[in-house]
Amino acid sequence: MTPKTVARTVVVGGGAAGIGAGGAARAADPSGEVVVFTEYEDCAYSPCGIPYVHGKEIPDFDRLFLAGKEAYVEAGIDIHYERKVTGLDLARHQVTVEGEGEVGWDRLVIATGFDYADPGVPGSALSGLYYVKNIRRAMEWDKVIDQAKVAVVIEASPLGLEMVTALAHRGIETHLVDPHPWALAEAADADIAAPVEESWAEMGVKMHFNTRLEAFVGDDNNQVRAVRTSEGELPADLVVICTKKKPRNDIAAAAGIAIGSTGGIIVDERMATSQAGVWAAGDCIEVPHGVSNVPLQGLSGSHAYSQGKVAGTNAAGGDRKYQPVYVPWGMVAGKWMIGGVSFGETLATALGIPYVVGTAQGISRARYYPDVKPVKVKLLADPKTLRLIGAQMVGGEGIKERADFLAMAIKVGITLEDLAWMENVYSPPIGALNEPIAVAAQNGLAAAAAAKAKG
Amino acid sequence: MDFGAQTRRAARWLRGNSEHYLLLDAQARLAAAQGWPGPPRPRGAKEVFWLRVFAPTYRRIPWKVRSALIQAMPGSHRQTWTPPVERRNPAI
Repeated sequence: MTPKTVARTVVVGGGAAGIGAGGAARAADPSGEVVVFTEYEDCAYSPCGIPYVHGKEIPDFDRLFLAGKEAYVEAGIDIHYERKVTGLDLARHQVTVEGEGEVGWDRLVIATGFDYADPGVPGSALSGLYYVKNIRRAMEWDKVIDQAKVAVVIEASPLGLEMVTALAHRGIETHLVDPHPWALAEAADADIAAPVEESWAEMGVKMHFNTRLEAFVGDDNNQVRAVRTSEGELPADLVVICTKKKPRNDIAAAAGIAIGSTGGIIVDERMATSQAGVWAAGDCIEVPHGVSNVPLQGLSGSHAYSQGKVAGTNAAGGDRKYQPVYVPWGMVAGKWMIGGVSFGETLATALGIPYVVGTAQGISRARYYPDVKPVKVKLLADPKTLRLIGAQMVGGEGIKERADFLAMAIKVGITLEDLAWMENVYSPPIGALNEPIAVAAQNGLAAAAAAKAKG
Repeated sequence: MDFGAQTRRAARWLRGNSEHYLLLDAQARLAAAQGWPGPPRPRGAKEVFWLRVFAPTYRRIPWKVRSALIQAMPGSHRQTWTPPVERRNPAI
């Protein structure tokens, strides 16, 4: 590290938010010093790609790296690898770093990310429990997967869906244990998850829904050999833990930085925390939802990276604002793509938000074109204003693009009327005559009219 | 005594429990209405309270009141966030 003669921005964490913040701080103040501390061996790779290497869709882990370490040296970002920050002293403007002692900062960005929620059952310290996060560990685990005959995935979270699909694709007997009645039940509706579950069944996946995890059972070598559940014991060579992403905020909370109801750090639109000179970004923060204004935590890598950019820019003296989120999401699960925006019926019902639904089963290309795929779209709108508030989709292709479009549609206040008569691309290889979004909106208008007539 | 920190801890407890059980309640009602398998019946005093007392009470409160209560909780949503600009006219 250079002697401290220029303004130093210290970033705690080298994930998407931390690297975004480091790069943005450097861009906003090229004369300033940017130091990033990460406890891991690497930065700048795509952890989201790990399940697809395990599933053999991607041939090797090297492809997940975006840039070599020298790229950051050349960019003027001083990354300290395998350096864990253990404390923040806000009064003295210092962080405590394992192996380096106390390091001063002029501006601080906290991007400490997440931990998987503790399963909270006996046996959690056994070996053979895989938490998908770090690429070096993933490389080691991939060799374990090579030897595994039976794997159990704990919880049908987004990562859980990807890992179930990956392990089944790899030919391993795969069991899914989840306390909810259907897959991804905290985000997706039952009708959206149903095709995924059917395709998993075709792939040989054994699904155990409405099933509580009770314990991990080990052998004499403390290696997991089974998973005990409310429905009985499942033998396991490997257990993949895919519980919720909990914000990793121990050092921030200990330093007195305000934490919100999600457990995430409270920030404003500039990613400023409750402490002057301290910014935060990524999975360790919470941001408001654009429709309900309820704070949310644990979003995607693209959210984390954007938030990091905002935090880094503002930390280094720039001016950038983040906005409330509408959370477009999508993934491949089983043989399908599923996705959505904002609310599905389950979340809207849970919150008690009134809505009207329009659903359509359409197709992705002209009906006669090879490889045409089904696309189901479900739209939710406010019954009074008919403004779109959410969407869910399942189909063979084109889900991500529709989710992105619908997120922007919700953001700008588009109504079912607008969507019902929207223009759409019609070209046999890439789009059908009737856009499923438009048909769903037309059906939503009919449902709203029927509800109004009914009183 | 830091009442702010206590309030935030209470908010986290309330959010964690209400989010979990309201979701279970929603899954049960939608599953029953649409013919999907729902979650199991509540077991034990805690589940019975949240699913048989809290959830129906929450549902009876009008959305505007519920929303006001949610907005009153401490969190990022109470910080400065510039409202989006409505652009409904042609660009040029």
